[in-house]
Amino acid sequence: MRSLRNVLHGLAAAAGFAILFNVGFALAADPPAAPKKDAVLRGDAKCTRCHDETEDYPVLAIGKTRHGTVADGRTPSCTNCHGESDTHINKPEGATERPAPDRVYRGARRSPSAKLNEACLTCHQADAKRSHWEGSQHWNADVACTNCHQIHTQHDAVRDKLTQPEVCFACHKEQRTQIQKPSRHPIPEGKMGCSDCHNPHGSVGPKLMKRDSVNDTCYTCHMEKRGPFVHTHEPVAEDCGNCHNPHGTVVENLLKVRPPMLCHQCHTPHGAQVGQIAGQGQPSSLLSGTTSGKSGINYFMARGCLNCHTQIHGTNNPSTTNPTPQFNFR
Amino acid sequence: MTTSQTRKQFSMKLLAVALAGAFGSAHAQEADITDLTKPSSTVAVGGGFVSGDEKDRSLFSQYNGLREHDAFFLLDFDFLRRNDATGTWMSFYGRNLGLDSRELRAQWDRQGAWKIFGEYWELTRHYPRTINSSLQGSTSTSQIVTLLPAVGTGQDLNLQLDRKRSTVGGEWWFGKNWMFEASFINEDKDGSRIFGRGFTCPSGAAPSPICTPMASGVNQWAILMLPEAVDSRTQQWEAKVNYLGEKLTVQAGYWGSFYDNHNGAMTATINGNLNNPLGHPMGQDGSIPLTAGLRNILQLPTALPPDNEANQFYVSGTYGFSPTTRATFKYAYTRAEQHDDFVSNGLTNAPAGVSNYGGRVDTNLFQAGIVSRPWSKLTLNANYRYEDREDKSPLALYNIEGTNRFVNGTYSLKKNAGKLEGSYLFPGAVRGTLGVDYEQLNRGQFESPECLQLENADCIGDSIAGITALRSETRELTYRGELRRSLSEDITGWIVLSHSDRQGDSWLKPAALPATGSIPVSDQEIFNRTGIFPMIFMDRKRDKVKAQAEWSPSEKLSLQFTLENGRDDYSAPTTKGLSTTEVKTAGIDATYAINDAWKASAYYTFNEQGVNVAHSTGYIIKYRDRNETMGVNVRGRVSPKFQMGADLLWINDRNIYDQTLDGSASTTNVQFFAQSGGLPDVVWRDTRLNVYGLYALQKNADIRVDVIYDKQKLDEWTWNTFVYSDNTTVTLKPDQNVTFVGVRYVYRFK
Repeated sequence: MRSLRNVLHGLAAAAGFAILFNVGFALAADPPAAPKKDAVLRGDAKCTRCHDETEDYPVLAIGKTRHGTVADGRTPSCTNCHGESDTHINKPEGATERPAPDRVYRGARRSPSAKLNEACLTCHQADAKRSHWEGSQHWNADVACTNCHQIHTQHDAVRDKLTQPEVCFACHKEQRTQIQKPSRHPIPEGKMGCSDCHNPHGSVGPKLMKRDSVNDTCYTCHMEKRGPFVHTHEPVAEDCGNCHNPHGTVVENLLKVRPPMLCHQCHTPHGAQVGQIAGQGQPSSLLSGTTSGKSGINYFMARGCLNCHTQIHGTNNPSTTNPTPQFNFR
Repeated sequence: MTTSQTRKQFSMKLLAVALAGAFGSAHAQEADITDLTKPSSTVAVGGGFVSGDEKDRSLFSQYNGLREHDAFFLLDFDFLRRNDATGTWMSFYGRNLGLDSRELRAQWDRQGAWKIFGEYWELTRHYPRTINSSLQGSTSTSQIVTLLPAVGTGQDLNLQLDRKRSTVGGEWWFGKNWMFEASFINEDKDGSRIFGRGFTCPSGAAPSPICTPMASGVNQWAILMLPEAVDSRTQQWEAKVNYLGEKLTVQAGYWGSFYDNHNGAMTATINGNLNNPLGHPMGQDGSIPLTAGLRNILQLPTALPPDNEANQFYVSGTYGFSPTTRATFKYAYTRAEQHDDFVSNGLTNAPAGVSNYGGRVDTNLFQAGIVSRPWSKLTLNANYRYEDREDKSPLALYNIEGTNRFVNGTYSLKKNAGKLEGSYLFPGAVRGTLGVDYEQLNRGQFESPECLQLENADCIGDSIAGITALRSETRELTYRGELRRSLSEDITGWIVLSHSDRQGDSWLKPAALPATGSIPVSDQEIFNRTGIFPMIFMDRKRDKVKAQAEWSPSEKLSLQFTLENGRDDYSAPTTKGLSTTEVKTAGIDATYAINDAWKASAYYTFNEQGVNVAHSTGYIIKYRDRNETMGVNVRGRVSPKFQMGADLLWINDRNIYDQTLDGSASTTNVQFFAQSGGLPDVVWRDTRLNVYGLYALQKNADIRVDVIYDKQKLDEWTWNTFVYSDNTTVTLKPDQNVTFVGVRYVYRFK
């Protein structure tokens, strides 16, 4: 028993010494010169002899990602993205501070976006989803791939619909509020992401729309609005955004403004009365048993103009019987 | 990049190396490295509870699946496996599996060789308002309306829409540069959504004797809430071949989208009488009982969206002339068609010989762009886009009102858009950009509208009647200037200024009925105080300034400032309609690293959007949607085993309807406006607190507790005093408080 205890004490002492020695050695000024084995990527030893799994930026976790799939011969080494960085690896004699790597992705010494993106596009240029990156709004705004993407982590927030909007809101503040409004798409719930409608890598459509136009993008989920209809409502056929704010509003159906004010931007013929709410003590000249249906109450309350003009996106009713559906009544 | 030399932080690798040294086991070191570099999987299982009833949480739970029940089973998993020898990945992913917002995905792929995947996705949208009605068949296409004896005495209807989507797809690389991709999406949508029907007699659209003639000044109308029954399917097929070369990438493909609505039309049967505007049965207060004319009109079928499809073929890509010059291009041809049969959908009285619309819209899209850096500091960017949407639907006389005859509403549009810009990198890491955008929209059909050529007769009936003014072409020119400083040590930022001017051809006036065609007229000739001048045709001047700056006063603190101000001024030969719109945004975001264990961020944003509209009645509304948003987020580690975080969101949104009257307002309106004070504001407030705690039970297992408290207030006049003609009401609990508590066991494995 005593001998066993001695052995254990000896092992413990050896372990303590080894820990102290290794930690002390690792924290010493210069990294060891002996060749090291690659930890994750091909040829990463020159970097991983110093850089490792720090708590706030775990570099080794790249091994968990697509970039860390070494069996795919196209995957990079550290230097493919960060540059050969000779002076960073071998600090010049006399230098008070270790020079930065060739490409610095974060912090005060961050390299220009074009230089950073060059590293990514070396491989990802050959991808149809990014064919229209050059000349796009984000390209023009100097956005770097790493402004949105996290490379050294298994879970890249921007590629998950639940966490993606927060990444986009780093710049798009107005939408951060809009997606929370009572009339909205299911974005906070993670059922839709910004990239369901927008291609942040560039597109032919306006506003980086994923499809070729605003309407074509909306039709991917709302095909019932496409028609073509017997009776068309021209602004609808032109751009859904004429009436809707897809990011969210307080008005039902994501309308930009409550009807009839929305409709009055173009149409002014109906309504001989100011806007009214039922119960405001209307005199009999405004509200009686025989007042017109085109009253201030009927086109301001409930669904507004849509109380009667129900098929505002267009109707396929062919009836030539009066009242015909020309004015989208039915 | 963080390094163990420059940042004195806890290094897990160092510990691994030290331990390996201590126990003399190279295998242990490799095992730890493997642990840090091998994809990990998680499964989280537990239960959740939500307070209150469905009305207490109708705003909170529109989409999140927490509406119908009080207790929920929670299950999420993310399984990820990689065969390191072959680079083959297998992943299974499930989220919200115990809720009606569940989704599942499975994928199997070998990087750079092939991929197949399948997804299943559900979403239920619960309409947040409760409908109280006597309506029968509310989810069918044949509904029966009966006047409720009193408001609130009917049954509560909760409308919902269920979407179930399945996706399968894959990609295959063949050869070094070729890839084939294909996908298929099927989505079924069932349920009902708020809809309705209304009509007033007499009406120009329903001349005598259709709306029963009444004594002068006696009107009769009804507005009914009739939910739209939804039972439809959408399908999308896409297949494309990609050539991905060093200089040239080309994508050629097909995208087809198909809509199939199982409901062609809906009808209502009205039993007995309805209410008059005072909420009393028609026949009282000087009114007359529901007439056969109005009843028949309300019982006419309402067309539901028709089956339709669109087929697109496209070629798209990019070509690199040199490392500094690259071009992009796309050509797409789309044919959208609609041939849904009228009669089988319950839609009768079509023009003679027409069994379906035969609608067809062909769209040709062409885009070309080039970006070049002739020298390192100068970048040039040019882009051109042409889109021709040609409506080829056949014409027929779908609307005959006495001697006035109209054809269907075809709509064609040509768009030309171009962009030219140059940017230069000045000393001090400041980049300046100047750009010009041009957009021309041509609606040439207004100039020479199509009409129906009958044999031995004049061309009759076009579709442009009923609108005061039209324009065949509008042109918009935008000038932009931008300064951007993005490489400063502690301050970066940008400012963009732009000015746009949209103008158009002479206004066109539809010919006096029954003649067809349009006539160009001067602004003086067409000036109409009360006419319809669509905003998309009006002249517009747009000015916008937007700026953002980031400042990091210390390593721990960073601040971001955002400012935006924009204004559109519209003008047309009228004093009514849309005059201006405005947008203002100001915000500050801050992030602060309290220490190594705790981080915090906070933000405040003010936003206001305004629309100024004038109506022929003589009222002017200055509408403002003004909101403030504040958020505070904290994340931290209380102890080595316990992490927690909290997110507070506060939004105060106010829709302001600032009404004034102009000189054209009637005495009645002036008096009523003085008495009523106009339209009140609509206020929406949301205060939401999410708190979570994660306690490590062991190295690879945690207990996670989530608590969400949400308090919302929506005080709106839109519905709260409105009563339909059958005493149906639509209500929403204006003050809602809900608390959700979820407890999950989280297990991680490799």
